[in-house]
Amino acid sequence: MLTHYMDLGWRSIRKTPVLSALMVMAISIGIGITLISLNVFQLMSHNPAGERSSVLHMTQLWSQGPDSWEEYSANLTYQDTMNLRQSDIPVRSVASFRSGGAIHAEGSDAEPEMRSIRVTDSEFFAMFSVPFLYGGSWDKSVDMEAAHVVVINEDLNRTFLGGGNNVGKIIYLDVTPYQIVGIIDHWMPRPKYYDVTNGSMNFAESIYVPFSLTPHEEFPVWGNTSGWQFEPLITYNDRLLSEKTWIQFWAELPDEDAQMQFSQWLTSYVEQQQALGRFTDNTRTSWMRLLDVAEYLTDSEVVPEDNRIMIGLSALFLAVCLVNILGLLLTKFLKRAPEVGVRRAIGASRRQIFLQHMVEVSLIGLLGGVIGLVWAWFGLTTLADHLGMEEALGRLDPSMWIMTPSIALGAAMLAGMYPAWVICRTQPSVYLKSQ
Amino acid sequence: MLSMKKINKVFKTDLVETHALRDFDLQVEEGEFVAVTGPSGSGKTTFLNIAGLLEGFTQGEYTLDGVNVSRLNDNQAARIRNEKIGFIFQGFNLIPDLNLAENVEVPLRYRGFNSAERKRRVEQALEQVGLGARMKHLPSQLSGGQQQRVAIARALAGEPRFLLADEPTGNLDSLMARQVMELLEEINRNGTTIIMVTHDPELARRAQRNIQIVDGQVCDFTLYQGGDEPQAARA
Amino acid sequence: MFTIKPVLSSLMRSRTGPLLLLLQIVLSVAIVANAGFIIQERLALMQRSSGIAEQSVLSFSLYNFGEKVNLPQQLKRDLEILRNIPGIKAATSTNMLPLSGSGWSDRFIDGPDPETAKSTPGFAWYLGGEQMVDTLGVNVIEGRNFRADELNHSITDSGMKALMSAPLAKEVFGEESAVGQIMYQGSDNQIEIIGVVEVLQGAWVDSDQFDYSVIQNIELNENRSNQFMVRADRRDVPALEETIKQALRAENPDRVIRNFNTLRELKDMSYAFHAVMAGMLSIMIILLLVITSLGLSGMVMFNIQRRTKQIGTRRALGARKRDIVGMFLVENWLICFSGGLLGGLLAMELGSQLMTLFSLPMMGWQWPAMTVAGLLVITTVAVLLPARKAALISPAIATRTV
Repeated sequence: MLTHYMDLGWRSIRKTPVLSALMVMAISIGIGITLISLNVFQLMSHNPAGERSSVLHMTQLWSQGPDSWEEYSANLTYQDTMNLRQSDIPVRSVASFRSGGAIHAEGSDAEPEMRSIRVTDSEFFAMFSVPFLYGGSWDKSVDMEAAHVVVINEDLNRTFLGGGNNVGKIIYLDVTPYQIVGIIDHWMPRPKYYDVTNGSMNFAESIYVPFSLTPHEEFPVWGNTSGWQFEPLITYNDRLLSEKTWIQFWAELPDEDAQMQFSQWLTSYVEQQQALGRFTDNTRTSWMRLLDVAEYLTDSEVVPEDNRIMIGLSALFLAVCLVNILGLLLTKFLKRAPEVGVRRAIGASRRQIFLQHMVEVSLIGLLGGVIGLVWAWFGLTTLADHLGMEEALGRLDPSMWIMTPSIALGAAMLAGMYPAWVICRTQPSVYLKSQ
Repeated sequence: MLSMKKINKVFKTDLVETHALRDFDLQVEEGEFVAVTGPSGSGKTTFLNIAGLLEGFTQGEYTLDGVNVSRLNDNQAARIRNEKIGFIFQGFNLIPDLNLAENVEVPLRYRGFNSAERKRRVEQALEQVGLGARMKHLPSQLSGGQQQRVAIARALAGEPRFLLADEPTGNLDSLMARQVMELLEEINRNGTTIIMVTHDPELARRAQRNIQIVDGQVCDFTLYQGGDEPQAARA
Repeated sequence: MFTIKPVLSSLMRSRTGPLLLLLQIVLSVAIVANAGFIIQERLALMQRSSGIAEQSVLSFSLYNFGEKVNLPQQLKRDLEILRNIPGIKAATSTNMLPLSGSGWSDRFIDGPDPETAKSTPGFAWYLGGEQMVDTLGVNVIEGRNFRADELNHSITDSGMKALMSAPLAKEVFGEESAVGQIMYQGSDNQIEIIGVVEVLQGAWVDSDQFDYSVIQNIELNENRSNQFMVRADRRDVPALEETIKQALRAENPDRVIRNFNTLRELKDMSYAFHAVMAGMLSIMIILLLVITSLGLSGMVMFNIQRRTKQIGTRRALGARKRDIVGMFLVENWLICFSGGLLGGLLAMELGSQLMTLFSLPMMGWQWPAMTVAGLLVITTVAVLLPARKAALISPAIATRTV
């Protein structure tokens, strides 16, 4: 019977091409706009950490003095970072910050390029599930005893070294030679959940160097450096000794026990520092907090407000389209009342009439959905073009393949329910007398 | 076959109460051909709608084919219409978008027959009305008489217990009307009960039995047998 | 001429159609009013004056990776080279680029004791040479610019001089003149305010303190990485990128020179989200109006078909064509007005929800009012066409039994 209803629906759609086109257009535009908003939202609100989201915790400390910032800084000071790194607490953790420099390789034709660099610890790759093509991270001992080793990504490997397994070869960061110990595959988490300082849609770095090199190499900071008191940074050492915050610190805390222990350890660390005259804001009862990835992304407001407004407005827009279609469907169905009268007289039940019309409405919805998907794709491409975010925005999220038909069918059925109900309650006798 | 006892149908509005049928009694036996006549507004249409289970009624008892159908819900009524009753309308009421075969097929689909069974019955029914060669035509390509024959085929395809015809020849010229009438008579001879509403006395005279409805009541009861003159009798 | 009462009563009887129209108009008003308001707000943001000759200022960054480079000397040389390139009218190094979305911000305090001193609001903190004012093209309205011989090279030097943007000066000093005031950073660093510039925006277009800026006489010269801004005639700007690269590479090849952008380009990038938002909302409004008017026309047409006989009877009873058209128009206006009223209330409610949720300013009543007025015009056109068709219905229809 379903195929029969589909056949009838399709005939009916073709019979009133203008009205049908109007309805399909209205629903497709509504769906298109909704899909665009949802797609952007999906992209922004995505949590690339997956199941590791609740395992990875960003450590934040209230190291500022009283009457300064009203919120936690996302970053830590160098001194706190070093104290955490050197502690004996058995927790896998990494410090990191974004830097940059001129990259070149000996014997390469490629001109030196400015690239962003992540200065971090050996566990970074394991903690954030970074895929290696060749080699691996540097030895854990390098985290304490600095060495000029580097992990680069495949793109850089191809540009400067012609691709292939180049572990053991040398590339230059500014004028300093670094030995390659690992080459990672294409890795581009969006949002860049381990550090959204430079924008959540910022690219992952192409070069990774040991954090232990920081005091020797004086890596420039390409992220935010925030200070709550006047502390001029004349030399790099000023920076290392200052209360300025600029380093992200992530800890792997797989269960509540681990979180509890780590919190306790941090609390006693803060007490110890208070004895040394730091952490002077006495208005507080706690000077530390741990945010898992999802909490960190929410706290960093990676989903722009505009996006939420758009979702609200597009939902309303879709509602207008639905009301519109509802009216048109009612028009169309009521015109068909005599035919329905005949069908009822010769034995169709209300349910059968209702189903017949719902199937027709669903067809319209699906057609609208398909065209809506085209609108959405077109809209997103244009949008990405305007925002210079082709790679991030200019594609449909895989979830849209489920989202589109559900929205299309749901919307159409919502709009079709009332007209179909009205028409299935047609009194057959009324329409049989006249022509 | 069909038995109506003290059927009352009252239409109510805020201001007036109209008795469309008043203590309406009627018995129709299996295989009868009954013509129902009456002036306009007498309750003919209401009778037809009630007999065809298209409308409910206010009081009384209606038994069809041994089953009490006085208080059926919508679904049950639809089911009985589909299986036991065939409708023929003045305006043919074919579905213009469907071709002849598809039109005849409509009630069979609602009955849930499989496609082979549907095909067999559609062909048989159209054959019977002499339109077997035109299955793929649209109603608009046919003359009025042909359209009415398709409507009859549609009514017959479900092999109903009785046919309800509402002015079946009202929209036809006399030649076509005669053909349609002959077809109905043939169907009746094959054993199908027919109730026909008409205001054409000429046509009514060809039925075995004539009923007149006046002011919602069966007022005149005439039995035609051979060439006898009509005899008035109280029902 | 138009009698409302019969129209009203016929509306009351056939509820569904008018109700749907009403609903549609309510939602449309709510959407269009709010979207229009947001668009207007975004456009206003984008139209604020930056105080800068945006299209005539080219910015770029330079990174010295050479091993044995004397950074202060190099900067001095680079600036000389830039200033000697034909077409360049002024050039300066800078710690940050206006309108770029990234930069330095700071606060001053008004006394030497950090415990008791009052802090200024945060401001964009521009550090650059004596040519920064001319490069940006900002207008010094009070006091003076600093001179080349007053330049510092480190933020702890003494003899700090600063220019403030007028909005900041007004916020900090009120009606008092800013020129001659002494401000502090920490307890040791004194800064003398020597001038006020009319308008100078900072780096963050969404900041509440976007108009608060300070230019200080510090030419940082110890960094490997530097940013520059040069001022040229608008027509000369496109050719400058190559000229500058060649000139600076000829001086010293060991550097990366990149990120050439005019300040207008930076501004456009910074406002891209707002522009896209305004664009999307505008498209939404247009589509909405199209859909609403098409839907309305469709429904009116259906109404006419349903009421053909009634219209025919009216005509037979002496209604003129314009009376029929009028009947439909009055019907539409009634729905539009009541829908507009309800929609306006909904819009205001939505607006206040948006305000509390998203720190948007409160929408004025003008927005819903304007929307209703606009819808009135559009729906009138949408109704007029089918209504004129209705007026052509022949009075003879009435006598036929349909």
